[in-house]
Amino acid sequence: MSFLPETNDDLPSLAIFKRHFGFVPKVFRAQTKRPDLVDSQTKLIDVLLFQKGALTRIQKEFILLVVSGTNNNSYFAALHSKTLQFLGVKPQQSEQITIDYRLANLSEADSALLDFSLKLASQPNGITATDVDLLRDAGFNDEQILEAVLMAGLTHLLNSVQIGLGVEPDFKPRLTLPLKEVNLPADSERQMLERPLTDESVSDDPDVEVVRRVKGGDTDAFEELVRRHGRRVYRSLIGILENAEEAEDALQDCFLKAFQHLPEFEGRARFSTWLVRIAINTGVQRLRGPKNLDTLDDESEDFKPRRIQAWGDNPEDSYSREELRKLVEKEVMKLPVKYRVALMLRDLEELSTEEAANALGLTIPGLKARVLRGRLMLRESMVPYFAKTSAGVRE
Amino acid sequence: MISCQDFITELGNLLDDDVAIGIREQLQAHLAHCNTCQVLYDSTRKTLRIVTESGSFDYPEPIAEPLVSRIMDRIRSGCELPDSASSK
Repeated sequence: MSFLPETNDDLPSLAIFKRHFGFVPKVFRAQTKRPDLVDSQTKLIDVLLFQKGALTRIQKEFILLVVSGTNNNSYFAALHSKTLQFLGVKPQQSEQITIDYRLANLSEADSALLDFSLKLASQPNGITATDVDLLRDAGFNDEQILEAVLMAGLTHLLNSVQIGLGVEPDFKPRLTLPLKEVNLPADSERQMLERPLTDESVSDDPDVEVVRRVKGGDTDAFEELVRRHGRRVYRSLIGILENAEEAEDALQDCFLKAFQHLPEFEGRARFSTWLVRIAINTGVQRLRGPKNLDTLDDESEDFKPRRIQAWGDNPEDSYSREELRKLVEKEVMKLPVKYRVALMLRDLEELSTEEAANALGLTIPGLKARVLRGRLMLRESMVPYFAKTSAGVRE
Repeated sequence: MISCQDFITELGNLLDDDVAIGIREQLQAHLAHCNTCQVLYDSTRKTLRIVTESGSFDYPEPIAEPLVSRIMDRIRSGCELPDSASSK
């Protein structure tokens, strides 16, 4: 159940969870070796979460869900998704909040609250007075802001306790964060978990020196950045705009914007990630009509592959390289734009999950969900070209 | 024992080699007895390989140099920042 044996799950302080949840979450039962620490945590949780405060209980649960999602923590995402359902929030909406709350039809005030909480969780060094002012502009008073900050901190504490003690979920997770953190992560995963969301090994950003020269007034050095990243920017833009001529036009705009905003680039992300984010914004600005990267569709529905048919060992050998290039371009372009751009950043541009999530302004679970959907849809469209025979296609 | 839907949910992490040992064992145990998921995993893995190696949407080299020149000319001439109004 966890790395440490339970000694006593009848501690009086645990009764509060039975009252509010109907059971004692395993994350507290795993700490019963130190009743005094359990008591302290339950008092804090009682005052901050259960008792009536400045924020509503649902707003506090939203913060728990979003910060846990940012931490890629399946345990608390499942627990608080379920809790929100007990409080009357629809399952689909609570899950959408974990994946990407901006698509969950929340009020402007709640969205602002979660923007702040997400930034506090993922980019704590980036929080400034401006972020707090944005909360005030959204109608939050100082007591509510204090509670929001403490709720984000409490969530981090609980997330760390669960991961550190290897506590298994109380509920089976349904989302794409599942199960991973209930086991001790492998070394590479441990490194990933220890890094904040936006840390993309910024310290070894290969562009840092050239960026410094440009910022110092060496305009010509910017040409090096255009040459290094033109391909990446072009791919990001054509994935959104679907038209080579328009992508070239937008590419120019993108680099001009990057040059003119370079003084604002503070190096908290890699230069290349910052640039791709500008490219995506430039591309989205040019989109007209209902096509939009954030269009809400059936993302929260499970995608069910239909064509299950074995492929040969090297099915691509039947095609020339040029044929494959055209085939991939044709089928990728058929994907809905939100999945297409996520897939292109990960699988064609080969950005890391963190880089792609940052470039698209998504949480890691949100990015993973889009990439997986894109990959499955693309696989489905490739079956007629690469399956051994067409006889076994299930429809 | 995990279900096929659980397997699909974890498929992205498996393809990215981003699963903990305990989870990998569960996924492999599922693959050992589920032909549908085995086919799904194999064909999605091959799809990724084909996409990654396809060179699709590559920057069209013949236009690269003129584009670089155009961008740098506009920067050196101190052109206005493109904004949404200038976007199509």
